[in-house]
Amino acid sequence: MEFFFEQLINGLAVGGIYALIALGYTMVYGVMRLINFAHGDLFTIGSYLGMTILATWAVAEYLGPFAGILLLITMVMFLVGIIGVILERVAYRPVRQADRLSAVVSALGASIFFSNLVMLIWGPRFRVYPDDILPRITLNILGLDVPLLRILVLLTSLSLMGILYFFVQKTKTGTAIRAVAIDHGASRLMGINVNRIISLVFLIGPALGGAAGVMIGLYYGQVNFTMGWSYGLKAFIAAVLGGIGNIPGAMLGGLLLGVIEALGAAFISTAWKDGIAFIVLILILIFRPTGLLGERVADKV
Amino acid sequence: MKTRVKFLVLSLAIALLMGVGSAWAEIRIGLMCPLTGSWASEGQDMRDIVLLMADEVNAAGGINGQKVTVLVEDDGGDPRTAVSAANRLATRDITAVIGTYGSSITEAAQGIYDDFGIIQIANGATSIRLTQKGLKYFFRTSPRDDEQGRVASETIADMGYGKVAILHDNTSYARGLADETRGLLEQDNKEIVFFDALTPGERDYSTILSRLRRANPEVVFFTGYYPEAGLLLRQKSEMGWDVPFLGGDATNNPDLVSISGTSAAEGFYFLSPPVPQDLDTPQARDFLSSFNEKYGSNPGSIWAVLAGDGFLVLSEAIKATGSLDKDELAAYMHNELSIEGLTGAISFDQHGDRVGELYRLYRVDGQGNFIMQE
Repeated sequence: MEFFFEQLINGLAVGGIYALIALGYTMVYGVMRLINFAHGDLFTIGSYLGMTILATWAVAEYLGPFAGILLLITMVMFLVGIIGVILERVAYRPVRQADRLSAVVSALGASIFFSNLVMLIWGPRFRVYPDDILPRITLNILGLDVPLLRILVLLTSLSLMGILYFFVQKTKTGTAIRAVAIDHGASRLMGINVNRIISLVFLIGPALGGAAGVMIGLYYGQVNFTMGWSYGLKAFIAAVLGGIGNIPGAMLGGLLLGVIEALGAAFISTAWKDGIAFIVLILILIFRPTGLLGERVADKV
Repeated sequence: MKTRVKFLVLSLAIALLMGVGSAWAEIRIGLMCPLTGSWASEGQDMRDIVLLMADEVNAAGGINGQKVTVLVEDDGGDPRTAVSAANRLATRDITAVIGTYGSSITEAAQGIYDDFGIIQIANGATSIRLTQKGLKYFFRTSPRDDEQGRVASETIADMGYGKVAILHDNTSYARGLADETRGLLEQDNKEIVFFDALTPGERDYSTILSRLRRANPEVVFFTGYYPEAGLLLRQKSEMGWDVPFLGGDATNNPDLVSISGTSAAEGFYFLSPPVPQDLDTPQARDFLSSFNEKYGSNPGSIWAVLAGDGFLVLSEAIKATGSLDKDELAAYMHNELSIEGLTGAISFDQHGDRVGELYRLYRVDGQGNFIMQE
């Protein structure tokens, strides 16, 4: 039983990261019906930017570890958000009226561009976060040894998701985002500046990806320029699992995927970990083709 | 339309003729390596080393008075990209090619070089079957997996461990080494308490580590690559579990220590061909001093150093035979060649496999240095 809960916590921490990245996919899909394949690479850029800022400005030394890390995550979110907005301007807006395929090709191109850009700037080797930023404390909760960082990663993910959910559901701008997701033309007639909303979505989505990147770097220590691919793929699956285009769906899908992976690896076979996750995905999609929380609308596209 | 086709054919023919014409002016050697993709750091080291050695040879007057030109192509660490890279190199009139890193990538390019009659000296291709196909022009400076499996099982036996966990990563290399070692250990009546794979390229291996701990092994043999090995060591020390880890030759990379942190890496054992730093030969010393002078550090990866060995082998063969003929060169390399390389003595058997005992046992010390064990 102890083993089960240990794995459950492992799965939730990994799932929280998946969920944060999945939010970027799902928001962009929601308003533009576009899979932003470059999203995983924006996540990579976030973790590299975090490393560079940490190494050059020593934010953690002036402000103490926790305030410093909070500032670091905010800075990286802002920077990656800006990159996301530029990406939309340069790669997606010109092809918005074109065929769907053009946008997909443009997204794939952006992904290759970003991962090679990271390689050229920071080099192909693995890079490492400074080791001693956060105290490595292990808490004992009900007889379970849980690293404090693991809980912090999970809590940060959950609170970012909570803020986003509140923003989208309760504020005027959030309402505008939801309106644009339903119908661009009608939103424009209602006086919503659609371009601005799309830019905003490309600010928030990549910012969350960037935050996930920093947390991965802080917790696991090691970053490299190809890591966006595997995390991006997993997060994309999480978004589909929860119902792509649906914000709570992405959160649920991410956490669920993390837990399924951890439990499958722990109790069945680690080599079959991805296989188990994909079987679950296929089963869910057979019975609920729109994902767990996806709306049941036939002509959603 | 027709005139255009004719013009194309004509210009192609001219280009080909000119290509052949230049062959007598210089020795053209190809280098196929992963400059991009997951193994980009290996490939860039390979390029640095081979270009450095070619520059030195040229500064000393070339081989038999002829300049050496190295043509570099990126295989992306990917079999499909490797096929097009091999085709590009093969049609550019090269005598021989050095590379590449990764058995599956080497295998994808092998047939192409053989069709064109180009000598290939692979540097990071340990899969057994690569030399079992009867390819006349294929050589490798890297050792073979079965050799490593034998050394691994002997090492585990020497250390006196009885309950062994084996962890691989489902790549054909790591899986092959894991199977090989398991077979030998079972013959030796050791108990294999755990045999499974992790997914490479991830960050979180705490689940597999908790499973390993439950199996309660006396030693863990990990046959995968250094990024995962580094993370395993780091997360293992976070768990407060101090079982000894033994790694395969793909863990020999200084980045291992930076990924895991120095204290977590201390006591980690791995098998590897000796790095030049541990060889007291003039070849190794000269190479290290010129590499340090140009790049300001020791070479990172043993596999890239083995590409340098490939270059030494080629230049020696061309020097000794005085010929660029593939059959003469191959015959010389199979039968007569015997040189002191950057990783010790090099000669080849009839299959193109490197002869001799190559593996050493290394241990990571408290400062993160790799110390060769006697």
